[in-house]
Amino acid sequence: MTSLAHLDQPPRLAVWFINLFTAHENAESIFGDLLEEYSYLASKSGVTFARRWYWRQTGNTIAYLFGSGYRAAPWSTTAATVGGFLLHRFVSGLPDKLLSAVTDRYLAFWSAHFNAYIWVLKAMMSVHLIASLFVGCVVAWAVKGREMVATITLAVVLCALIGSAMVWVATHWPLGIVWMLWLFADPFAIVVGGAIVRTRRSAAITQAKHG
Amino acid sequence: MPARDYLGEFEHIVVLALMRLADRAYGVTVRQEIEFRTKREVSIGAIYATLDRLEAKGYVKSRLGDPTPERGGRSKRFFHVTAKGVAAVTRTQRAFQSMSEGLDLGFVRS
Repeated sequence: MTSLAHLDQPPRLAVWFINLFTAHENAESIFGDLLEEYSYLASKSGVTFARRWYWRQTGNTIAYLFGSGYRAAPWSTTAATVGGFLLHRFVSGLPDKLLSAVTDRYLAFWSAHFNAYIWVLKAMMSVHLIASLFVGCVVAWAVKGREMVATITLAVVLCALIGSAMVWVATHWPLGIVWMLWLFADPFAIVVGGAIVRTRRSAAITQAKHG
Repeated sequence: MPARDYLGEFEHIVVLALMRLADRAYGVTVRQEIEFRTKREVSIGAIYATLDRLEAKGYVKSRLGDPTPERGGRSKRFFHVTAKGVAAVTRTQRAFQSMSEGLDLGFVRS
């Protein structure tokens, strides 16, 4: 198992993905095992083959760790998902309520500065994303060690609801489908929130380990 | 009837792999042993998730080895089967034997 292939590192993105799902106590062994096999395969069959193998391992490992992470604590994960769903319902409505309150209050101003109003409307999309990101962070913070399991579960629930709504809209107003695609950005932002919390936690644990 | 815990299919395979490998059993060798003998691709995540479950049940124990350069300075985690684990394998094997006794499963005998 000795060759120049040792100098080659596995795909960084794949390593990051696995790190999002791996329990901290297993991380060292799993990454060590994968690197050992990756180096061997890279020297024996080439870097391209080894990288393909690493990505396949990443996909299968994530799927397995996701399932076992949920089975390890189904109730707390479900509670975090339901809590996150309710929080998302509450938080995602706030920007619109705020906008309509401001619009009603300063109607004369907005009438005189219509371009500014359009700009604010566009900015609301970003505010919605930030709200979803916040929800993702809160859910991930609540379930230590299963950040990605809880946020992905919540995202899948939201995607299913959006998908059902799209089917209904498609039968009544087909053009609305294109606009609705934007709604999938919310579940994506929730998962990103989970990944941020998880990455920060992993970094803090690694830092504590190495002094 | 006393409560008896049987091993699941993959748990059974993993414990048998640990028994075959004895003191050489860690993630890489366990994964390769299972792939070699069962001819099915196994992910390292599946191995560790199963080993964690078995360790929680007291069927296996683990210890950390020394860090090695080919692993980027990371340690190997070696596993071994406990007496309780051996008893669980025996129990599961007996259950399989008992269930298949007298059945014509169409095995090809060499």
